[in-house]
Amino acid sequence: MFCIVAFVILSILGIFSATNRSLAKEALDCVLRRVTLRPCNTGFDEKMKARILGSVITRSENAARLINSHFELLSWTFFILMFASSIYAVRSSYLFYVTGSCNGLNQTAFCVLDPQGSSNQISGIDETCKVKPTTAADLTLSGVNLTDFPIMNSNSKDTIVMIGSYGCDYTRKAYPLVRELVDKSKASFIYLDYPVKEKTDYLSRVGFCVAKQDPGKYWQFNDTLFAADKAKLEDVSFIEETLTGLGMDSKAIGFCASDPQTQATVTQQLDQILKTNFYGTPTVFINGDPLIGPKPYRVYAIKLRGLWYW
Amino acid sequence: MDIQKIRRDFPLLHNGAGQKTITYLDNACQSLRPSSVIEAINQYYAQSSACSGRSMHRLAAEVTRSCDQSRSAAAKFLNAGRKEEIVFTRNTTEGINLVANSLNLQKDDVVLLSDKEHNSNLIPWQVLSRKKGIAIRVIPSHPDNTFDLEAYEKCLDNKVRLVSLGSTSNLDGTSLPAAEVVKKAHQNGSLVLLDAAQAAPHYKIDVKALGVDFLALSGHKMLGPSGTGILYGKYALLDQLDPFLVGGDTVASSTYDSCEYLPPPEKFEAGLQDYAGIIGLGAAFQYLQNVGWNAIQKQELLLNECITSGIRNLPQLKIIGPADPKLRGGIVSFYIEGIDSHRIALMLDQMANIAVRSGQHCVHSWFNAHQIKGSVRASVYFYNTIEEATLFVTSLQKIRKVL
Ligand SMILES: Cc1ncc(COP(=O)(O)O)c(C=O)c1O
Repeated sequence: MFCIVAFVILSILGIFSATNRSLAKEALDCVLRRVTLRPCNTGFDEKMKARILGSVITRSENAARLINSHFELLSWTFFILMFASSIYAVRSSYLFYVTGSCNGLNQTAFCVLDPQGSSNQISGIDETCKVKPTTAADLTLSGVNLTDFPIMNSNSKDTIVMIGSYGCDYTRKAYPLVRELVDKSKASFIYLDYPVKEKTDYLSRVGFCVAKQDPGKYWQFNDTLFAADKAKLEDVSFIEETLTGLGMDSKAIGFCASDPQTQATVTQQLDQILKTNFYGTPTVFINGDPLIGPKPYRVYAIKLRGLWYW
Repeated sequence: MDIQKIRRDFPLLHNGAGQKTITYLDNACQSLRPSSVIEAINQYYAQSSACSGRSMHRLAAEVTRSCDQSRSAAAKFLNAGRKEEIVFTRNTTEGINLVANSLNLQKDDVVLLSDKEHNSNLIPWQVLSRKKGIAIRVIPSHPDNTFDLEAYEKCLDNKVRLVSLGSTSNLDGTSLPAAEVVKKAHQNGSLVLLDAAQAAPHYKIDVKALGVDFLALSGHKMLGPSGTGILYGKYALLDQLDPFLVGGDTVASSTYDSCEYLPPPEKFEAGLQDYAGIIGLGAAFQYLQNVGWNAIQKQELLLNECITSGIRNLPQLKIIGPADPKLRGGIVSFYIEGIDSHRIALMLDQMANIAVRSGQHCVHSWFNAHQIKGSVRASVYFYNTIEEATLFVTSLQKIRKVL
């Protein structure tokens, strides 16, 4: 048992030192012999036991005595712990690959592979909107009426619904990836803007008016806003230039955006969006399953196409 | 003897600040080297790395002179009659093999060995026994492992051509009464080869006074460079022997079917020699002479007494050889029943950077005969301190408590 534990540990340490590399080789030889039920002929286990005892004895004689008399038991314990942690590590790596988080989709617990938890970061809506606290499990599209929102690729069997906010950094990170996936997969796509940053809430209305005037331009408008420097979103002249650039009448759009009727419709739409129980942007529903926070591209793609998405 | 001053001469004994200094107690395997030896070697490579003897240029002349000086120093060290009695070898093993293969022993000739010879003084004779049918006779030691002179005498008969014995044992540090051994052998008409690998580093050897015929030693156990050694042989005997290794530098001339050997020692020194080693060995002799045998032996005894008294009462610990440290030179060899000797050695290394040897020390025959798995051997030299001996003792006491 000891050989296996030592082999794994020394192999890792061997990355940094040649001495450990050669010890790892000895350990491997020992493992191979043990696998074929022969004794370890390099005396490797004896050697390592002596070295361990030699180190421990300088700190605590009692600990050394304990290790000496229960060496095999301790080796087994370490082996089991290592085995369990290896399985855990493999599972975590797999989950990280598939969901962008070691602990599973939308799980925010610490993940060594993403220590900052960047794939779960959201701009919460709690501060700006009064909704009862919800969790990932509460997120749903059922009962949410999306028929009034512009839809891209409306005849696909796959649907991607993204709730985002023009001014939210995390949405800005996720948006191009989702768009890339939509382009590649031709899945139906609905973008729901939920302004978590109050300063940019007028953009929801502008977006609504753009879609009303020319649904095709709505997507170009979104793409431009997400590609632009975030600071410019608060700059009305930039928005006007954008609209003009898209061949639209910016004055008419401005008029529409400040129309109380528009305001009322947009508020209704925001209420619809809140029915999803989402609590932060971005939240992306792929065929109904929510992905909270800006995931890596592969996570969106795997969700849509499966593990072998490419 | 100013031990701290001596220690400053050994680079391995004064590491930079903060580094854990080694407690080197494996001197029976190899000693450490003083700077003078290291410098002599460096000087050869840096300033005169040329052939000795063969070439005419000035570098060659300088090397020839230095090697010659080393030979003279060796002759003086052993009190040999003439420097031509000194043959440079790679080690004791080579010296013994040279005698074994050159002596022209015949079927049924007996070679007398002790029951605790190093493999280097056992295997060459076993090979001759298989090749030529010589017989090996083993002298039993006293129960305390000291040399049994009576048993020795009983073994001597007219078949004994050669008595080949280790003058000091690497197993337990005991020495035999060499002068008496030689005298009795000569009275019996037998030649004597002494394996002085463990003797030469520790006390004065006077080959003339001993009257010994051959004596082999290793330079690396007595401050010299690794892979250096000497075979001393009485000139008349060396002159009669055919060389064992032959080739370049061993002959004065050759035709396509014959050759004329050079006189000793050249005829035994085949091929290009380890000039740097030979020159370094000369510096080692010089260093030892400066320290002086009395000082060396006094320090070794002090250390052996300290270690022996500190460990002798540890449970299940058995010291190999006589109880009295005076009879064990610089060696304390012991085993603790039920505990692997390698484990103890590794723990000493790990916990306190103490270097000792463990296992059967190339005396497998003795361990097998006594059904002992192995021993830990602490072997001291004059540069070891009482603090080091104490560290060894306290570390071993700790280990004993834990294992
Ligand atoms: C008594 C004795 N004889 C012979 C030898 C062999 O010496 P070398 O290995 O230098 O040839 C040793 C080495 O430990 C020794 O202790």
